Amino acid sequence: MQTQDAINSGITGSPKLNYLTNGFTLKSWLLTKDHKRIAIMYLITVSMFFFAGGLYASAIRLELLTPASDLLESGTYNKVFTQHGVLMIFFFLIPSIPAVLGNFLLPIMIGAKDLALPRINLLSLYIYWIGGALTVYALLQGGVDTGWTFYTPYSTTFSNTYVMAVGLGIFINGFSSILTGLNFIVTVHTMRAPGMTWFRLPLFVWAMYAVSLVMILGTPVIAITILLLALERLVGVGIFDPSIGGDPILFQHLFWFYSHPAVYIMILPGMGVISELISNFSRKKIFGYEFIAFSSIAIAVFGFLVWGHHMFVSGQSIYAGLVFSFLTMVVAVPSAIKMFNWTATLYKGSISFDTPMLYALGFMGLFLIGGLTGLFLGAIGLTVHLTDTYFVVAHFHYVMVGGQVIAYLGGIHYWWPKMTGKMYSEFWGKISAMLVFIGFNLTFFPQFILGYQGMPRRYASYPEEFQVLNIFSTAGASVLGVGLIMPVIYLGHSLLYGRAAGDNPWMLPGLEWRTSSPPPTENFETTPIVTWEAYEFGEESGLDLDEARRRDLAIVS
Amino acid sequence: MQTNSWVPLFPDQASTFAWQVDLLYAYLIIVSIAFTIPIVVAIFYFGLKYREKEKYATPDEMHGSIMLETVWSIIPFVVSMTIFLGGAYVYYNQFRMPDDPAMEVYVVGKQWMWKLQHSTGQREINELHIPVGRKVKLTMTTEDVLHDFSIPAFRTKTDVVPGRYTYLWFEATKAGKYHLFCAEYCGLNHSGMGGFVYVMEQRDFDNWLSGNVSGQTPVEQGRDLFENKLGCASCHAGGPQQRGAKLEGIFGHEVKLVGGGTVIANEEYIRNSILNPSGQVVEGFQPIMPTFKGQVTEEQLVSLVAYIKSLSGVTGTTSTPAPPPAANNAAPTVPPKADRGNTNPQGSNPNAPTANSNR
Amino acid sequence: MATHADTLEHPHYHPPGLQHQFEDMKQQEESVAIGMWMFLVQEIMFFGGLFTVYLVFRSKFPMAFAAGSNHLDAFWGGLNTLVLIVSSLTMALTVFYAQKGNRNMQVILIVLTMFFGAVFLGVKAIEYTDKYVHGFVPVAGWNKKIKEDATAGHASATPCWEVDHDAPVVEHPNPRGDFQWTDCSLVAQAVKEQNHDPNGTYLTQAERVGYFASNQIGASTIDVNLIDANKFRDKVQIFFWIYFVMTGLHALHMVIGLGLMTWLLWKAWVRTFSHDYFAPVEMSGLYWHFVDIVWIFLFPLLYLLGRHFMH
Repeated sequence: MQTQDAINSGITGSPKLNYLTNGFTLKSWLLTKDHKRIAIMYLITVSMFFFAGGLYASAIRLELLTPASDLLESGTYNKVFTQHGVLMIFFFLIPSIPAVLGNFLLPIMIGAKDLALPRINLLSLYIYWIGGALTVYALLQGGVDTGWTFYTPYSTTFSNTYVMAVGLGIFINGFSSILTGLNFIVTVHTMRAPGMTWFRLPLFVWAMYAVSLVMILGTPVIAITILLLALERLVGVGIFDPSIGGDPILFQHLFWFYSHPAVYIMILPGMGVISELISNFSRKKIFGYEFIAFSSIAIAVFGFLVWGHHMFVSGQSIYAGLVFSFLTMVVAVPSAIKMFNWTATLYKGSISFDTPMLYALGFMGLFLIGGLTGLFLGAIGLTVHLTDTYFVVAHFHYVMVGGQVIAYLGGIHYWWPKMTGKMYSEFWGKISAMLVFIGFNLTFFPQFILGYQGMPRRYASYPEEFQVLNIFSTAGASVLGVGLIMPVIYLGHSLLYGRAAGDNPWMLPGLEWRTSSPPPTENFETTPIVTWEAYEFGEESGLDLDEARRRDLAIVS
Repeated sequence: MQTNSWVPLFPDQASTFAWQVDLLYAYLIIVSIAFTIPIVVAIFYFGLKYREKEKYATPDEMHGSIMLETVWSIIPFVVSMTIFLGGAYVYYNQFRMPDDPAMEVYVVGKQWMWKLQHSTGQREINELHIPVGRKVKLTMTTEDVLHDFSIPAFRTKTDVVPGRYTYLWFEATKAGKYHLFCAEYCGLNHSGMGGFVYVMEQRDFDNWLSGNVSGQTPVEQGRDLFENKLGCASCHAGGPQQRGAKLEGIFGHEVKLVGGGTVIANEEYIRNSILNPSGQVVEGFQPIMPTFKGQVTEEQLVSLVAYIKSLSGVTGTTSTPAPPPAANNAAPTVPPKADRGNTNPQGSNPNAPTANSNR
Repeated sequence: MATHADTLEHPHYHPPGLQHQFEDMKQQEESVAIGMWMFLVQEIMFFGGLFTVYLVFRSKFPMAFAAGSNHLDAFWGGLNTLVLIVSSLTMALTVFYAQKGNRNMQVILIVLTMFFGAVFLGVKAIEYTDKYVHGFVPVAGWNKKIKEDATAGHASATPCWEVDHDAPVVEHPNPRGDFQWTDCSLVAQAVKEQNHDPNGTYLTQAERVGYFASNQIGASTIDVNLIDANKFRDKVQIFFWIYFVMTGLHALHMVIGLGLMTWLLWKAWVRTFSHDYFAPVEMSGLYWHFVDIVWIFLFPLLYLLGRHFMH
C-alpha cells in the first residue's frame, strides 16, 4: 500500500518517491485512492477500447471498398458498425479526456492533494470496468446490431441480438461518468489552493467543470431511457411499443436529450486541452480568457436545448423543427468565439511547433470544418437532404475524431512527460501528428461529397457510382491507422528508453509544471499558494528562464 | 439518369425544390470558405511570423478586447441567422403539403421493401412511377420498424413511423431513373431496401398506367385472397350451413350483433372484423373466427375490403382506396388535423382539403 | 498523517474522520455536502425522465390513466404518504441528536426510521399482491393464473362500456396470467358527453385514435359501439407499466435507504457521531428526504389525479 509518509520522505530530501514508485503490488494499484493511478488505469482501459473500436472501423472501411456486401455480409456489417459506435462513444470518447487527463490533472492544476472524493473516483473506475466487461461479454457472445442509437421499435421488438446486455453495460457505465462529473464539480468548488480564484483557473479546468455539469444533468436521462428499453425487451411490453399505443419517437426525444449534450461531453474537454496548448506553446496569455471560459458554460447550457435537430425528418412538427434549427444556429456562436480567440492568441506570440502544438493546430483546422458543416446540418431545409447520409458521418467524425481524438492525443503528448517523467521522440511525434492529420482528411473529406450525392449511412452495399470516393476514404483510413498506431510504439518506447523529462520541460507556468515529474502521491510537497494569473509568462510567474536555458544547453552537449 | 462524370459533386436536380436546396448548399459553402480562408491564412501567417525565435521568450502581454469579442460574436450570429432563414424557407416549401396534389400514393414500409399503391390502384414494389410536372403526395406508414423514404435527386426524405402517418410531397421536373433509398436503419437488409423512382413524361406515364396494372385490380386480388390464399370462403361462402356470416350485400347495411347492438358494416367494421373477430360478432354466430392480425398485410386488407364491398355492388376503391388505417391499435400523436380526410374515407370531415396541408 | 502539520490553527489536532486529501473539517464537510447535492441533482434528472414519460402518456390518454388510477388504492397510498412523512421527521430528529452526540436517541430514532421504511415496503407489497391477483400487472404471464372453470358461466358478452365501474372487481378467468381490463365505461361516458357537446374536448386526439376500432378524429358524433375494449386495455396497460416502473424504482431507492440506515445504526451504536462529525447522518438524511419527496410527487400523480372522472 501507499503510505502517506512517502511525502515526508520527499520533504526531508531522501530520494523522491513519486506516485508510480509508491507501492508496486497489484493491490496498491487496485485499491488506490490516488487520482493519478486511477487516471493511468483509465488510460490503459480507454486505449484498449479505442483500438478495439478501431479494428471495427477498419473492417467497415474494408467492406466499403467495393459496392457489394462481399467482405462482410450485411448482418455482420450491421453489428460491426454498431459495435464501432458503442465502443468508441460510450467507452472511449466520453471517458477519454475527462477520466484520463481530467482525473490526472484537474487536482494538480488547482493545487489540491487529490480529488475531493477519492473513493468515489475509484468506484467510478470499477463501474466503468463492470459496464465495459458486460459490453465486451455481449459482443463476444454475438454482438448487437441496432446502431449505437438503439432506435425503437427495432431495438425493443425486432432485433435478435444482445441488446439488453449491451444496454445494461451502457447503463452501468453511465454511472461512472456521473460520479466523475460529480467529483470534478465538488473538487473545483472546494479544493482550490489558496489564491487559486475562479478566474485564475486554467481553461482546461473550466472545460472540465462545464463537462461535469452536462454529465450530471444528462447522463441520468439516458440511464433511465436505456433502463426502460432493457425492461421492455425483458418483459415484452412497454411504452415504446407502437402496437399497444406506445411511442417510438419518445425514445428518440429521451435518447437525444442526453446524446446531444453527450456530443459536448466529447468536444468540450477537447476545447479545454486546445486552450492550454495554444496559449502555452505561444507563451502568451490566452486571448479573451473570460469569453472562452463562459463560452464553455454557454455550450453546456445551450447543448440541452437542441436535441430535436437529430429528429428533423422523424415526423416532428414543422414548428418544432424551426425552433430547434434556430437554437442550433445559436450554439454555433460560442464555438466560433473560441475559434477566433485561439487564432488571436497566436498573434505576436512566440510559437514553438512541438508535437502537442501540431495537434492543436490540426485541431483548429479540423474543428473549423467540423463546426461549419454543423451549420449545414442545422440549416433545416438542407439537412432534410443531408441527414442520414454520409455527410452526417463525415461531420461528426470531423468533430469527434478531428476534434476530440486529436485534442486527446495532443493532451497525452503534452502531459506525457508529467505523467511518466519521460520524454518521447519529438521526431516521431511530429511524423505521427502529420500522418493523422493527412490520413484523417483523406478518410473523411470524400464522405462529405458522398453524403451530398445521397449515399445513406449504415449501408453494407451501395450503388456503384459511389465507389471512387469510397476507395479514397479507405485509402485515407489506412494512413490514419498508421498515424494512430505510431504513438503507441514511440510512447511505449519512451517509457523504457526515453530521457528524463525534468519537472518542467517546456518552462510553463501552470501548477502542474511546478511539481516533480512524475508527481508525488499527494501532488505537492507543500500546498502551493497561487499569486499569478492563468497563463502568466512574465516576471510574476517566477519561472527561472535562464536556468532553463542552461539546462537545455547541458542536454544538447 | 445518374450523371456519368467521374466523381459527380451533385446528384441530379429533379424536383421543384432541388435547386433551392442546392442554392442553400452553395451559400453555405461560400460562408464556410469565407470563414475558413481568413482563419487558416491567419494561422499560417502568425505561425511563420511569430515562430519561436528565442527559446522561452516572453512576448508582450496582450489582454482581450471587448470590441473584437463583440464583433466576432455578432458576425457569426448574423450569418447563422441568414442560414437559418434560408433553411426555414426551403424547409417550409418541402413540408407544407400541397393543397391539391395531382396524385396520391400510399407507401407502406416493411423489412426490407417498399410497397406502394397509387390512388388509381396500381401497386408497385420498390419502384415508383410518376409523371413529370405533377405534384405527388405520399402518405406513408410502416408495418414494423422505422424506415425512411429518401430520394436524393428530389432532395427530400422523411421517416416512416409505425403507428402513425408521415407525409412527403414532390414535383418531379426531369424525366429519368433515380435512386430510392431507405435512409433510416431498419435491420439486416437495410442497404437492400431501395429501388428506383421512374419519372416519365405524361404520355409515357399514361401508357404505363394502362399497360402495367400488374394484372389485377384490388377487387381481383381480394377475391384471390378470399377464395384461395386465406381460405375465408370455407366459412363465408354464403351457404346455409356456413359457420360464418354471409357477406353478400352486407356492405353499407346495419348488422345485428350478439348482445343486441347494431353496427353499420362499413370499411372499418370489415377491417376490424378481420383483425379482431370476437370484438363485434354478428347475431346468430359463434365467436369462433380466428384473428388474422399479423397474417394479412395492410395492403391485403385494402384488397379484402374492396372485394367484400364489391359483393354488395359497391366499387369504391378505384376513387379513394382507404389507406391502411392508423396501424392497428396505434395511437398517432400527429397534430390534430393531420389524419383528416385520409383515414376517414367516409368523408365526415368538411375541412379535409386544407387539413391535408399539415404534416 | 503528519502531513497536515502545516495546518496552522491546530498544529497537532487531527479530527476524527478527516480524510487525507482535505486541509480541515470545514473543507471536508463542504465537499461532502456539495457532492451529495450533486448526487441528488442527478437523481432528480433520473426520475425526471420517468415523470416526463408519465406526463407525455397522461396527456395523450387521460382516461386510460384515470381508469387505471381508480384501481389503485388511495387508502394504502395515503397511508404510505403519512408513513414516509413521519419517517422524515424521525430522520430529521436523528440528525439533530447526532449533532448533540446523544447516542441513545440516535439509535432509537434510526430504528424508528427503519421501521417506517419497512412499513412502507410492506404496504407496497400488499398493493403489488392485489395487482397480481386482479391481473393488473402489465406483463403477460406475470399475473395470477385463474382457470376458466373457476368462474364457469361468466358472461364475457357484456360490452366493456357497460361494465359498472362501481361494482366490486370480479375475478375473470385468466388462464395465462395476462393483463386484464374489462371496464371502459369511462370512454362511453366521455363519448356521450362529446356527442352531447360536439365543441367540447372530452376526448384527446390520441384517444380518438387509441380507444376506437377506427379513427375518430374529426368525427362529429361517435358511435359507442366502436369502442375497442382491447385497444383501451392496452392504454391502461401503459398506465400500469409506468406505475410499476416508477413505484418499483422508488421502492428500490427505499431499500438502498434502509441499507444506509443499517450502516448508520451501527455507526451510531459505536458512538461515531458527535458535534464535530455528523456528516454521514446528515447526508443519509438528505437522501432519505429526497426519496420521500419523490413519493410526495408519485402519490398524487398516480393515485389521485383523474379520480374525479369517476365520481
